[in-house]
Amino acid sequence: MTDTPTLSGIEIHDLVKTYGDTVALGGLTLRAWPGEILGVAGPNGAGKSTMVKILASETKQDSGTITLNGMPWSADMDAHRVAIVHQEPQLFPNLTVAENLLVGMEPSRFNRPQGRDANLDVLCEVGLLEHANATVDSLPLALQQRTEIAKALAKNADVFLFDEPNSALTESESAELFERMHALAGQGKVVVLVSHRLGELATHCDRVVVIVDGRSRTELVPPEIKEERIARELVVGRSGSSAAARAAREEGAPTLLRLSQWTHRRARFTSIDLEVASGEILAIVGVEGSGGRELIRSIAGFERARGTIDLGARSGPAAQSQVAFVTGDRSESLFDNLSVGENLFLREAGRLTTRAWTLNRRAARNRASESQKAFLVKTASLNTPVRSLSGGNQQKVAIASALAVGPVLLALEEPTRGVDLGSKAEIYRLLRDYSDAGAAVVMYCTEDSEVFDTADRAIVLSRGRIVGSLLIADYADAESLAEAIASLAGSDAPHHHRPEPHPEDTAA
Amino acid sequence: MSSEQSEQATQEPDPRSSMGGDGAFLREFGRTAGLIGTIVLVMAIFAIASDGRFLMPENLLGLLRYMSTLAIVGLGLTGVLMVGEIDLSFGAVYGLSAMLTAVAWINWGWSVGAAIGFALLIAVCVGLFNGFFTTVAKIPSFIATLGASTLVFGFTLLVSASATYSPMSPGSGRTMNEGQVSFFRGLSNQDLPLGLPMGAIWMAVIALGFWYIISKSLFGFRLKAIGGNAVAAQFARIPVRRYKIWAFVICSLSAAVAAILTFAFIGSVQPDSGVGLLFPTFAAVVIGGASLSGGRGTVIGTLLGCLLLAILNNGLALMAAGAFLQQIFIGVVTIGAVVLDQATQRWRKDR
Repeated sequence: MTDTPTLSGIEIHDLVKTYGDTVALGGLTLRAWPGEILGVAGPNGAGKSTMVKILASETKQDSGTITLNGMPWSADMDAHRVAIVHQEPQLFPNLTVAENLLVGMEPSRFNRPQGRDANLDVLCEVGLLEHANATVDSLPLALQQRTEIAKALAKNADVFLFDEPNSALTESESAELFERMHALAGQGKVVVLVSHRLGELATHCDRVVVIVDGRSRTELVPPEIKEERIARELVVGRSGSSAAARAAREEGAPTLLRLSQWTHRRARFTSIDLEVASGEILAIVGVEGSGGRELIRSIAGFERARGTIDLGARSGPAAQSQVAFVTGDRSESLFDNLSVGENLFLREAGRLTTRAWTLNRRAARNRASESQKAFLVKTASLNTPVRSLSGGNQQKVAIASALAVGPVLLALEEPTRGVDLGSKAEIYRLLRDYSDAGAAVVMYCTEDSEVFDTADRAIVLSRGRIVGSLLIADYADAESLAEAIASLAGSDAPHHHRPEPHPEDTAA
Repeated sequence: MSSEQSEQATQEPDPRSSMGGDGAFLREFGRTAGLIGTIVLVMAIFAIASDGRFLMPENLLGLLRYMSTLAIVGLGLTGVLMVGEIDLSFGAVYGLSAMLTAVAWINWGWSVGAAIGFALLIAVCVGLFNGFFTTVAKIPSFIATLGASTLVFGFTLLVSASATYSPMSPGSGRTMNEGQVSFFRGLSNQDLPLGLPMGAIWMAVIALGFWYIISKSLFGFRLKAIGGNAVAAQFARIPVRRYKIWAFVICSLSAAVAAILTFAFIGSVQPDSGVGLLFPTFAAVVIGGASLSGGRGTVIGTLLGCLLLAILNNGLALMAAGAFLQQIFIGVVTIGAVVLDQATQRWRKDR
């Protein structure tokens, strides 16, 4: 096997990892060759994140071996030769983009590194040059992610592991990223792409390994790499709700939410007039900085805005208090120090008291158990720490917890970002059940496929204004919807934060 | 996988669970057992090293009395740490409360009840001050309470004119009401069966109250949630500000109660009485498992931490180790305990 030891790539053999009673990896064996893009697909809880964590030396396997070019995998090696681009950027938010690139690679042992010491070519390549001196937390998520990618490039690593790298990027940014992946593979690097987006795996990978229940189930090579084929290898029997079924949604349902002349305090959006009918799932579509995120939050009362808001019979703050909100960032929606069960009943705990002040643990448990069943949360027990769940299951817990209080309206940000297909389908179904019961859902989306699969209607936001409204049933597939959205939003540059650099410009 | 899920879904609720998480339960249980083991070990060492003097009843009862002061203050601090904030002012509040009671009663001629009520009210005000500057003005609680500490200590010096007060010797020309003096001393300096210090009874009652609040009440659950993730708590529409302010008020109030009881026991009060309390209380609470980053803490842990600190304090004094050595030792133990706790936690996680 190792006749050419310097070029043998990554070899994972019989990797086992358990968390308590949960088996995350049950003997995973996998090979990634230099010069190819290896796709890794798998449902929620299949062990993809665990594999990435072990490769990143964030945790240790129970047994099994990993070698890189014939040498055993180690944390030292990892620091220099392996670059991991995570689904949520792992940066120093208080440092500038340039400084982030320098952390761990400071040119001098004594002096504080200056931004100008950073690898400017790399910053230029990813189109971050003009943001080099901006602190990371002042940038939108998409640019933070680009910083992460730049960091990996600056390390000049041998192995590039992309873990859902583009879940927060727009279509054109994703395309750019894939070009970069192909270029890296062309230079003989090992490139691994862990993704839920089957279409992308099918288009860009030389080989796709499907992991199910902690083992590799199938390996697909070119003629077989097709979206449907990968999907079939994933879980059978779960399908997303079909757009056609919603076409016949009743006309003239009563208006539930009405915004008029709704303007953000710092003008992130201005003069929004919007109506959402009871039973409707509305997607607010726009890139980072379009004002969509602020609009969703303002409906729930977490961003200040002027104008009128009516929800059912209430208006103003009384209306906003009837909205349950779930952020797109799970580190802002879950409580790590609490168990799965406690996270599930947390929002309605105020109603689960016996005498004044006493929390009725029995009732709370029953409610948590109901939520867990309704949302098919895959967990060893309600008592396990919430962070031991897979990403998709964590997201289900976050949404289930918000729905437990029976809100009139549910406001979500990117409800299925970084979530696998199986969980996505389940979350869509549960949102649909919830809105069918006379409530409504508004969600901020950056991913066109999410809009197509979930929503009844989409409004497109650009520079804080509504530039169009689309009925999803009018579109036959996600691609034609994406085109329509792009043509509405695309005419003007999306955001002052991020003038889109042309690929030709950045290459120069 | 779908079959696995339906299996999960039909599973009956785990009966083990009323303590809130088997992982958490095991961890707490392990910590408690470890602390008890350490306490027994340290006691054995002191017993041997002091030729049994350590285990004499008078000594143990004295130890218990010191522990009660530490514990009443420490329980209040546990609440603040749980909610993810820090309070550096409780030592100063302790000093001020005792001093205000003394000055209002002895110098201003108020009744003892009014003086105590006044001291408690001012303590509540300091708590509100801390809470306000932390949650509304959004100053980090470390800074806000550090400032409050200096401010309060300054007030104490001002009010007391930097003197020592005792109701038994109120100074020339003043006479104290005998009944009030005996009532006040009786709060904490009474003969109970077995020579049990009154402070221990107060500690038990207050600890029970805290246990109820932290482990049983909605308030305690939300306190823990806020400490775990204040942003998420905000989004979940938990009134984060109000809870944090409450935690600060409770902490100040606990310090005041401990101060008044200790004053009643000793019979005199100096302006700097709370100064030495800051470190041992933090040490005890952290040894007891509360995390400075919030979201963790138990009543039993804090009590055991206070017991361990009281034992160290008493045992080292008994062996005439000297105040300097005592300081060094307590510092080492505190750091050692936290390191050990972190290490076992990591080990448990990796398993």
